[in-house]
Amino acid sequence: MRNQIFILRFSILLALLSACAPSSAGPLIRLSDLQPIEVPTSEVAPLRLAVAAVISAQGTAETYQPLLDYLSAKLGRPVELVQRRTYAEINQLIEDGEVDVAFVCTSAYVAGNDEFGMRLLAAPQVKGATVYYSYLIVPSGSPAQGMADLRGGVFAFTDPMSTTGRMYPTYLVQQLGSSPERFFARTFFTYSHDEAIRAVASGLADGAAVDSLVYDSVVSRDPALGQKLRVIHQSPPFGIPPVVVGPEVRPQLAAQVAEALMGMSEDPQGRAALEAMQIEAFVPIADSAYDSVRALLTEVGDLQP
Amino acid sequence: MIVRRVNPWFERFWAVAGAVSIRTKILGIVLGLVLLLGLGVVIQVRAALTRAMEVQLEEQSVSAASDLAARSTDLILVNDAYRLYQLLLETKANNANVRYVFILDSEARVLGHTFGEGFPIGLAEANQVGPNEHHHTLVLNTDEGPIWDTAIPIFGGRAGTARVGMTEAVVELALAAVTGQLLLTTALVSAVGIGAAVLLTWILTRPILNLARAAHAVGRGDLSHRVRRWADDEIGTLAEAFNAMTDALARAAEVQREREALRARFVSSVITAQEEERKRVARELHDSTSQSLTTLLVGLRALGDSWGSGDGQRHLDELRSVVGNTLDEVHNLALNLRPSVLDDLGLPAALERYAAECLKRYGLRVDLAIHGLDGQRLPAPVETALYRMVQEALTNVARHAQARVASVLLERHSESLRAIVEDDGHGFDATAVGLRDHRLGLYGIRERAELLGGKLTIESERGRGTTLFVEIPIPRSETQDE
Repeated sequence: MRNQIFILRFSILLALLSACAPSSAGPLIRLSDLQPIEVPTSEVAPLRLAVAAVISAQGTAETYQPLLDYLSAKLGRPVELVQRRTYAEINQLIEDGEVDVAFVCTSAYVAGNDEFGMRLLAAPQVKGATVYYSYLIVPSGSPAQGMADLRGGVFAFTDPMSTTGRMYPTYLVQQLGSSPERFFARTFFTYSHDEAIRAVASGLADGAAVDSLVYDSVVSRDPALGQKLRVIHQSPPFGIPPVVVGPEVRPQLAAQVAEALMGMSEDPQGRAALEAMQIEAFVPIADSAYDSVRALLTEVGDLQP
Repeated sequence: MIVRRVNPWFERFWAVAGAVSIRTKILGIVLGLVLLLGLGVVIQVRAALTRAMEVQLEEQSVSAASDLAARSTDLILVNDAYRLYQLLLETKANNANVRYVFILDSEARVLGHTFGEGFPIGLAEANQVGPNEHHHTLVLNTDEGPIWDTAIPIFGGRAGTARVGMTEAVVELALAAVTGQLLLTTALVSAVGIGAAVLLTWILTRPILNLARAAHAVGRGDLSHRVRRWADDEIGTLAEAFNAMTDALARAAEVQREREALRARFVSSVITAQEEERKRVARELHDSTSQSLTTLLVGLRALGDSWGSGDGQRHLDELRSVVGNTLDEVHNLALNLRPSVLDDLGLPAALERYAAECLKRYGLRVDLAIHGLDGQRLPAPVETALYRMVQEALTNVARHAQARVASVLLERHSESLRAIVEDDGHGFDATAVGLRDHRLGLYGIRERAELLGGKLTIESERGRGTTLFVEIPIPRSETQDE
């Protein structure tokens, strides 16, 4: 009988205990006692490298990480990746000197060069050339053969300032005697080329114009995605999106970075970084390479951002 | 040892449980069961609910943090602080259990949080997650109680860490609500239980109380009482057994009564026969023997007159004296056997005659007082019995009491007749002396009294004389006018 009482008491105790588990651990944290956050100041100022949102932010972060590591090793200082949603924001950062080096789109370069003296540093070389194209893509099941067949459809633009993703398709629509607002039933911005590709592949858009470099890269990484898409038009070549510096960047830093970029193909770590970005080398480039883009922008005229 | 420990407990329990009524016992059982069950259920439900809700809380915390991590990645990478802040607020607003949300960058600096002005010390460092872990959940000990803190790496930790803290307050609220409801239910069930117990008690105790009443009635001698069999249960069986017992008792009493009646009739007939025999013998003695003796006496006198001289004369005188004495004795014998005056003149006259007889024979003075019998004759058996009783009583007084005076009082009441025989003798200890053993005369008196439905009471004390009370019921109609 005594044992039974003990067992009874013990089981009640167990039941009570199990209601309290798991027990909280660690020191007491006072949630109501709020203190200002200390902002630590770093001793070494990092090199700030901006990458325009040609591809999605996460894709950019993954693709450019080897380059950041390479540059950090070469320059002997940390390199910080800066991303923004739009090309315009990146241009603003370059103009304000908030970033030192930037990978920008061609039209963003043309605009930055015109507005505040953005300078060319180098250009990636792909398939032996420093040009790229705009691909007009549709879902593989679409009967469209050209821009004319996309009338009344949904069209995905990439960035408001993108040459391949917005300027060129707008140009094509204008050539058909219309404007995107009237020509398409609806348009939207994806702010990156890979997402425009996915928008078409998923049927969200009936068509999109994308950076040929990005398209080739995405399709080579994800062949299944390529199966769902068809390129129905290729633009004339445009100067490839360059690496630029702001007008205030010290010439010595610009030269150091240019030298590090040009020397990548000679360096094992550099080659690995180039491979990650799917480019062959960084080469010098002249402003004249972007004249065709200037001509296109002039042709298209000012667009609503 | 256990037995020794248990016994005082059991005794204490029994002192309480044994002293209360069945109603209280049943109420105690019902309430005890309901309360025990209620308590057990509350404890169990609370435990189970707490476990379930904590699992849910952890899942919610992980889910909210995962969602936050996925949605904040791009915002962090493109440094969209405003939208990031909006996302944090939205995450907090979308889940009532979220106490706080914040984002640490890859350097563990706070990128955004929902605390408003300032940030709690030590919170950022309190929970850490590796870049390859999916999440890490801890229960933090805070001044607002336990907080389920989940840390999830954003973009493999390169974009930082998302942290979500869930409060247990909602668990406490739910527990309180459920506990309240369970207690209310227990209270309601207890109320119903009390009602049921009262009903049950009534059902149970009513037949028992009936049985007790019936047992009292039977104890008083009312064998006609029967109990109703309320139900087909053990108490019903008891009631049946009780009724069977009462039946058996009633039959036994009936048999007893019949035997008594038989015996009474027998005794009565014996007494009647005795009286008849005495009467016959007395008459025979009176009519035949006395006449013969008288004739003999007359003959002897005539013989003496004609032959009367000398020795012969003296011899005849002696014979005459013997015959005269014998005649007296026969007379007395006849009188004692059956005073004809009782039949002829009634009880008062017979008693007066007997009182005179006592004085003459025993030297005992008897004061006789008779009230309420003027001109009335009682039924013959009553007169005979009373006469015999008084006769027996006076004989006792004369033989044993060494009394000088005895008084006899005969009182006729409306429904009874009372006879009191008192003497001034030495008395005896009425309580110490069994009537049956030593006072056969008294036993005879009692027998006669009881045959007539009456009773005998004796009061006596050593040195204080003796009083006999005899009371015999006589319905008024049974008296006969002379």
